[in-house]
Amino acid sequence: MTNLAILPILIPFLAGILLAFTHNRIQLTRRLAMVFALIHLIAMGFLLFKVLLDGSIVLEAGDWIAPYGIILVLDPLSTLLVLTSSIILLAVVWYAPASVSEEQEGFYFYTFVFLLVTGVSGAFVTGDLFNLFVFFEVLLMASYALITHGGKKVQLRESIKYVLINLFSSMLFVTAVSYIYAVLGTVNMAQLAERAAATDQPGIITTVAILLFFVFATKGAAFPLYYWMPHSYIVPNPVVSALFGALLTKVGVYSLIRTFTLIFHQQPEIIDQLFLWVGNLTMLFGVIGALASRNIKLIVAYNIIPAIGFMLVGIGIFNHDGLSGSIYYLLQDMIVKAALFLLAGTIAAVAGTADINKMGGMIRSHPVLGWMFFLAGLVLAGVPPFSGFIGKLLLVRGAFEKGETVTVIIMLLTSLLILLSIVRAFIRIFWGEGETATQQTRHSTRRLIPVGFLMLFTVFLGVGAEAILPTVQQIADYLLNPQEYIDLVLKGGR
Amino acid sequence: MEIIMIVLAGILFGFAVYNILQKQLLRIIIGTALLSHAAHLFILTMGKLKRGAAPILTEGTENYTDPLPQALILTSIVISFGVTSLLLVLAYRAVKTNGTDNMEELRGNEHD
Amino acid sequence: MIVAILMPFLIAMCIPFISKFKHRIHTGYAVLATSLSIFLYFLVLLISGETDILYRYSWIPSLGLDLTFYTDGLALFFALLISGIGALVAFYSIFYLSREERLGSFYVYLLLFMGAMLGIVTSDNIYALYTFWELTSVSSFLLISFWFTRKASTDGALKSMLITFLGGFSLLGGLVLLHLVTGSTSIREIVTQGDLILANDWFPLIVVLLLLAACTKSAQFPFHIWLPDAMEAPTPVSAYLHSATMVKAGLFLLLRFTPVFRESEAFFIAVSIIGLVTLFWGSYMAVKQTDLKGILAYSTISQLGMIMAMIGYGTEAAIFAAIFHILNHATFKGSLFMAVGIIDHETGTRNIQKLGGLWKLMPVTGIISILASFSMAGVPLPILNGFYSKEEFFTSSWNLSGDRAFGSDFAALLANIVPYAAVAGSIFTFVYSMYFYFRTFTGKAEKTTAEKAHDPKLGMLAAPVLLVSGVLLISIFPNWFSRHLLQPAANAVYGEAMKEHTIHFWHGFVPALIMSLIVVVLGILFYSTRKYWMGLYNILPGKLSGNIVYTSLLSASENQTKKLNDRIVSGSIRQYNAIIISVISIVTLLVLFGTNSFDLSNIDTSPVSLPQSLPELAVALIMIAAAFGSTVSQKKLTAVIILGVVGYGLSILFVLFRAPDLALTQLSIETITVVLFLLCFRHLPEMKQERKEKTSKKITNIIIASLCGLMMMLVGLAAYSQRLFPAISDYFVKYSYKLGGGDNIVNVILVDFRGLDTLFEITVLAIAALGIYSLIKLRQKGGDR
Repeated sequence: MTNLAILPILIPFLAGILLAFTHNRIQLTRRLAMVFALIHLIAMGFLLFKVLLDGSIVLEAGDWIAPYGIILVLDPLSTLLVLTSSIILLAVVWYAPASVSEEQEGFYFYTFVFLLVTGVSGAFVTGDLFNLFVFFEVLLMASYALITHGGKKVQLRESIKYVLINLFSSMLFVTAVSYIYAVLGTVNMAQLAERAAATDQPGIITTVAILLFFVFATKGAAFPLYYWMPHSYIVPNPVVSALFGALLTKVGVYSLIRTFTLIFHQQPEIIDQLFLWVGNLTMLFGVIGALASRNIKLIVAYNIIPAIGFMLVGIGIFNHDGLSGSIYYLLQDMIVKAALFLLAGTIAAVAGTADINKMGGMIRSHPVLGWMFFLAGLVLAGVPPFSGFIGKLLLVRGAFEKGETVTVIIMLLTSLLILLSIVRAFIRIFWGEGETATQQTRHSTRRLIPVGFLMLFTVFLGVGAEAILPTVQQIADYLLNPQEYIDLVLKGGR
Repeated sequence: MEIIMIVLAGILFGFAVYNILQKQLLRIIIGTALLSHAAHLFILTMGKLKRGAAPILTEGTENYTDPLPQALILTSIVISFGVTSLLLVLAYRAVKTNGTDNMEELRGNEHD
Repeated sequence: MIVAILMPFLIAMCIPFISKFKHRIHTGYAVLATSLSIFLYFLVLLISGETDILYRYSWIPSLGLDLTFYTDGLALFFALLISGIGALVAFYSIFYLSREERLGSFYVYLLLFMGAMLGIVTSDNIYALYTFWELTSVSSFLLISFWFTRKASTDGALKSMLITFLGGFSLLGGLVLLHLVTGSTSIREIVTQGDLILANDWFPLIVVLLLLAACTKSAQFPFHIWLPDAMEAPTPVSAYLHSATMVKAGLFLLLRFTPVFRESEAFFIAVSIIGLVTLFWGSYMAVKQTDLKGILAYSTISQLGMIMAMIGYGTEAAIFAAIFHILNHATFKGSLFMAVGIIDHETGTRNIQKLGGLWKLMPVTGIISILASFSMAGVPLPILNGFYSKEEFFTSSWNLSGDRAFGSDFAALLANIVPYAAVAGSIFTFVYSMYFYFRTFTGKAEKTTAEKAHDPKLGMLAAPVLLVSGVLLISIFPNWFSRHLLQPAANAVYGEAMKEHTIHFWHGFVPALIMSLIVVVLGILFYSTRKYWMGLYNILPGKLSGNIVYTSLLSASENQTKKLNDRIVSGSIRQYNAIIISVISIVTLLVLFGTNSFDLSNIDTSPVSLPQSLPELAVALIMIAAAFGSTVSQKKLTAVIILGVVGYGLSILFVLFRAPDLALTQLSIETITVVLFLLCFRHLPEMKQERKEKTSKKITNIIIASLCGLMMMLVGLAAYSQRLFPAISDYFVKYSYKLGGGDNIVNVILVDFRGLDTLFEITVLAIAALGIYSLIKLRQKGGDR
């Protein structure tokens, strides 16, 4: 049954290829895309069920034993993440026909989307550092295709910056992998962990780890490496923005969580402080950007950054509560960010502008849209009983346990400012006198159903947190004890 | 020999970064190409140089050069090629559409 | 129990359906019925003496969050207040809000609020309390902005939201600390561990955080500024949330934790000072207002300050008086708000300067107002409950230094000053009460208002009349209320039974009465001479208003952030890269040397010897020269071709270093790349070397580039020379043929050992191809914005 571990990669991969062949028949492509997304979601749900029930699944690709071949690992963390991304995939594919032009859909749009998810899933499940690089490239290449898709002037302008920054960090990534190979003689993560823990010269490992930290932090849009992100995320179609906002930066965070709990936590006095301070600054500068923006899409895009800060801080706290907080925050943020991007896209499409100062009074004609946006804002600011609160509470508790008062204060202040940025936008868009001349848009209610689908999940992750939280807390303990992963992959032997 | 190669790769890296920091798109792309050369040289060197025969099994040879970095480089070369070609076409389209190849003129603003 | 608390939420969900019929029956009746039945439920509990009921539901146990409700005296007291006033307000609103308004939304928010408020006062779990706490802030935000087309409403709503959420988030911090210190999330358990908390290092922070929460919610100086702006809400909301209930949540919080805090001197000092300052400042500012609701808002602030001060005293008498005054304030202030609502409704204005002589036109409203405002002023009459509690306030202030032992000199000194401060703070209370009543109801009636103004329908009068009868009832039977309502509440606060309090109108010429008389005399004096000292407001607050701070902060949050952000996120890729690369280089170098990892002692290199190594060295030199050449070249063609030289150099190196496959691949790919370069850039502008580039920028670029190159070089050297473990590649050599079936190890690795890499490497190429295809073919103008 270990072959199941290939499913998270295989389903979207095959779907992507198949959809490339049907690209001329748009109706069929749409339906197939929905079917595949649904299959993916169900399969991932099943996998999570199985993993939680029977334990993690390890697949040695091509039957080459670890650490020599490539290992795919479905442990609770990666399975939860692939499941979450399959939820987002479904919502995005559902929303797409209402927003993406048929012309674009005909140009392999869904293929790119599915291959992006392939890369993302691959990055989540792989147990091999170089293979992680390859999957990064898959998702990046798909994202390059999507960000330029449509070829509008702004898209071309911003996507160049996007490609350049990512190219630099990719090159840094492979080089850093080769440094690690020189020092530890392997690229298998479990073996790296085993070897890193066994050495008495942690300094060089930490140094190389710093390089990798910056690689992942660039993808994750952490301070001071986030500059490329907000503007490039808003130029493609809202569907693509949602996909990016929900998945891409989070892959960076996931890689940080995985590698820095498993392998590179040899000198906590350096690593933890780095995470904490980068996290603190990320929160502050991100929210400053959100406050500074008048463009609704940009407000949402900037709001990605403080959330990344929260997650980084949780890694830096490095205790049970901190890590569970980080992971919970990661899961729920993926969903709420996707919802917010889709909402922002809907708002801009309905209003005919993205400038919040040019909108007003839209609650009268679009109450559902308005309240969903308001609700998403509360989620984002971590107002109970919604999902953002659960993660934030754990992070605050973890930080206090560690004695990081400054971090707590920054977290709470950031929450307040996030709230300000969203509520201010809400007031300007939906309240006030007059009403923006709303445009006749295609399927404006059809857009809201997939968003509602995502919102249901965020509410569930808050009110029904008990369904997931114990698992997340187990994951945190599991991350705090890398030996379990090592034994899992290397089978305790060798 | 490895020291020399690491220094060489470092120098290439430096030139790459210098080009990346230019305004003109073509220069930046030249920078990225140099960057991948430097990275591949680093990878190769990390596997030690000249410690045995080329990694093709032949009778009677005991020592081979570390094959893994070579495999990694091969993967990386192909990927870099993909990225570079996309970047070139993208650059071409961007320059045509925006009418400039000066990145400083492509800053953009909030509402477009 | 659970039904009673969740009922508002359940009914709220039904309201949208009920409000469809709002033209046949006003939606308010549903809310009235709801709150009335909750009131009756708690009343039955009170009468039956069945307190301390517990209901527990595990919600998110992994977080320590469960819904545990319990009713002790304090919870019951507040629950009755919330549901009772709620019922009256609902009834009043039926006549206040026309059926043309968005009744559905209004009552949903109102019920959400009511449920949340009941949740706050009955929750035992700190996180549940916090959840309800934030929910009151949200519903208050929505209620203030009920008329969302008015800018003043939405501004006021935003302000209240920001300030109360500031407090809310710090409450979260404080509660988490309490959880960590005591290991419990149950308030009942936490308050028994006072000693532990007081001795903990976190204690000062806990106090600060909880005080911040209480002060923002209960509109204490300097956070009071949101309350006057919240008056943009419909008047029933002001009466309910912003005078009777929500603003008392902060007080409730401190009362709940009084068993912990009352021993702390720092708490006494902080809370008493905040309370007294607020008492004074609120009443002082009230006299300046011209809007009737503005007067009442500042008056509420001031009264809250007074209660706050008493909580700070922490003595038995003070706690009892605080609870007593919470009740009294709800009655007289509630009726005053409703009276103002009536005046507004009838005359069309709340501007006190346009009003006057209403006594003759609206006598019933007049009677309500005179009773309520005189009660507020503390006029010594046996029918005014405000006087009773004010007496208690003076008594507890006067006796403070006797009732409590103080450790520090400052605290003792403060305890001695307190009575004087109490009197000083109360004078203006008297002044604004008089000002409110006499300016509105006596004097000449304005012509415009006189024509239409008259007492409203009975229905609208009913709620304020009932509330004012509350004023009278409490005054006539103070000890009944004391025994059944106040005493149990005070005991619950104190954590132990306190001695029984009896309330009398006449105590003899005790200090409290003298203090009251001083207030009355000075109050009359100040009121009659107010023309002469009104100029004082130009000096104080003058320009020192907290509002100015708020406004400038708010605008800074929009404009200063923009300035800052525009500088950071400038859109210039050069700047991004420069910052990113320098940060990476510098931090990595710091860590490299900081951890003493630049250790080349074990370096193991293959020998360099001339002439054997000549080819490698020559190629290396050529590559450097070519890299330099393509960097400085003026012609794009030259630059690209010289760049090719670097690539070909690399493939020669691959050959020399025994990597034939790499060499082949590199050679072919380099060729294609160069061709692509030439194809794409044939039509593009010629290179203009360093166009208008400043020398300083050039130097920065050189520095960053060298730094980065150096960093990669040094880390590479360090990594190379510290090979801590043998590489795993022996396995590949060993099994390449045996298991992989191939001689060429690199190829076997690619297609077999690491086949997955190769599969997805090809995928990358395929995506690139499709991407390039759509990039060239697909050119949209509009699309989705």
